[in-house]
Amino acid sequence: MSALLSSLDVVLQDGFMYAILAMGYYVSYTILDFPDLTVEGTVLSGGVAFGLLVRAGVNPWIALICSFLVGFAFGAVTGILHVKLGIRPLLCGILVSTALISVNLVITVVGMGGTWAGDGALSTIDLGRGVPTLLRTFPANLLPTNFYGFNLQRLVTFFAIALICKLLLDVYLKTKSGLLLRATGGNPQFVTMLAKDQRICKVLGLAIGNGYAAVSGALIVQSRGNVNQGMGIGMVVIGLASLIIGLSVFGKIRFMKPTTMVIFGAVIYQACLGIATLLGVPSAYNKIIMAALFTIALIGSTMMQKKGAEKHARV
Amino acid sequence: MLAFEHIYKTFNPGTPDASTLFDDFNLTIDEGEFVSVIGSNGSGKTTMLNLVCGSLAPDSGKIIFGGKDITKMSEFRRAKRIGRVFQDTKMGTCANLTILENMALADNKNKMFGLTRAVNPKRIDYYRTLLEECEMGLENRLGTVVGSLSGGQRQALALVIANMTDLDMLILDEHTAALDPKSSETVMHLTDKFVHKSKITSLMVTHNLRFAIEYGTRLIMMHEGKCIVDIRGDEKKNASVDDLLNIFNKISIEVGN
Repeated sequence: MSALLSSLDVVLQDGFMYAILAMGYYVSYTILDFPDLTVEGTVLSGGVAFGLLVRAGVNPWIALICSFLVGFAFGAVTGILHVKLGIRPLLCGILVSTALISVNLVITVVGMGGTWAGDGALSTIDLGRGVPTLLRTFPANLLPTNFYGFNLQRLVTFFAIALICKLLLDVYLKTKSGLLLRATGGNPQFVTMLAKDQRICKVLGLAIGNGYAAVSGALIVQSRGNVNQGMGIGMVVIGLASLIIGLSVFGKIRFMKPTTMVIFGAVIYQACLGIATLLGVPSAYNKIIMAALFTIALIGSTMMQKKGAEKHARV
Repeated sequence: MLAFEHIYKTFNPGTPDASTLFDDFNLTIDEGEFVSVIGSNGSGKTTMLNLVCGSLAPDSGKIIFGGKDITKMSEFRRAKRIGRVFQDTKMGTCANLTILENMALADNKNKMFGLTRAVNPKRIDYYRTLLEECEMGLENRLGTVVGSLSGGQRQALALVIANMTDLDMLILDEHTAALDPKSSETVMHLTDKFVHKSKITSLMVTHNLRFAIEYGTRLIMMHEGKCIVDIRGDEKKNASVDDLLNIFNKISIEVGN
């Protein structure tokens, strides 16, 4: 029973954490139709920025905002490569995320007291005892760490951050700038006819998407207690699978906002991974399960679309 | 108002497919004119519109608009003063947004797209009165996603949207060609109403010879990058579809079709 509860605790916490990444993909992939691979790099960049700033004693909430800005900037680079140089979306993401491997490593090493040559210090950032993380500072530190087997402190904090990210995105998409972004994905020519440069809108959308990915990365660091240079690997699959599961399972519910669907999608995805762990699948097989779940989500989403089309045809 | 000066344009230059369309093309359109342009496929009608709107650049020559040389100006900057309705009914509106959202965006054209609310409820009545002119019942369907409207309705909405901003020129790019006969009649009628009301200088490309004669103040027939017919006033009023067809046939025989 306690194993089940503690898995539920992890599932929810990871779900909220990755929901933010999936919301980023909602902007870049669903709205702009841009399959953005940059997140493999920006998730880590966000984590590095958060880890170093918190270690330096910066308020963790401000560090979280800074990690958003870091992701925002790198996402903009991907966008600029695409709109200015005409490089294909997939290649832009590969280029920037590859470059970020070095950037993240060097920044980590330098931040930990090493040299700009990338040596002289560890390439990991440890948020050990005494580092004022999100959970060790106000207001999260007011919550209990153990509440009937749930780490309420972490759970509530992560949920609150996911909720804030969702609400901010909802509000943004209703603003003039947000509506223009949605129009850019639907019909770039329409944006041109509105006398606006649709290229700028695309860059902005990718920047927001990667800003969210970086916040997600910061929470991963908060959750694991350290930065590991390999933590960006597999983020594309987690983000996209959560997004697609959310939109295809709840897509029919009219009053539900897509951002809400995405949060549920992320939790469902983590629940599937949690069940696999409970069933005793060794963690070495994690990535295979992730890929398999993503495949199932994709098949499910095309089946839902077909069903929808048939229904439509009958009416 | 609008002038093409010594325009040269060759497609696929330097390849075996190279074809020269405009070889010293000149045309002047005066303020307030409603020009219908007809011509066979490949005669340069649509290329001419693309040159005005900036989706294509000439190899050499100048495009003068409102006294200014706009040859090097980007497409989205020109859109501030030039509206366009396309043949493809999907182009003039945004399918994934509602009618209301489309109109709210258009209402904000040439202003800042900042972080304030996109849809202003106070403007809804104004949008309704604009839509009522289409006589399609669109004013009662503001919350409908545009993608679920018919081609004719989308084109009517595109016209309304193009006319929401104070423009200097309206470009109609075969905008009735993809519609069924009845819708195309309705949309053409609506176009005429809008153009008359705002007295906006308009350039309309069409394959419908009757529309070309019935509507507008000037008629141009293009062939191989040249204007071979350019009539206005009484001469245009007295022209008939048969006259135009005869010219078409004569050209076809000359080029050996």
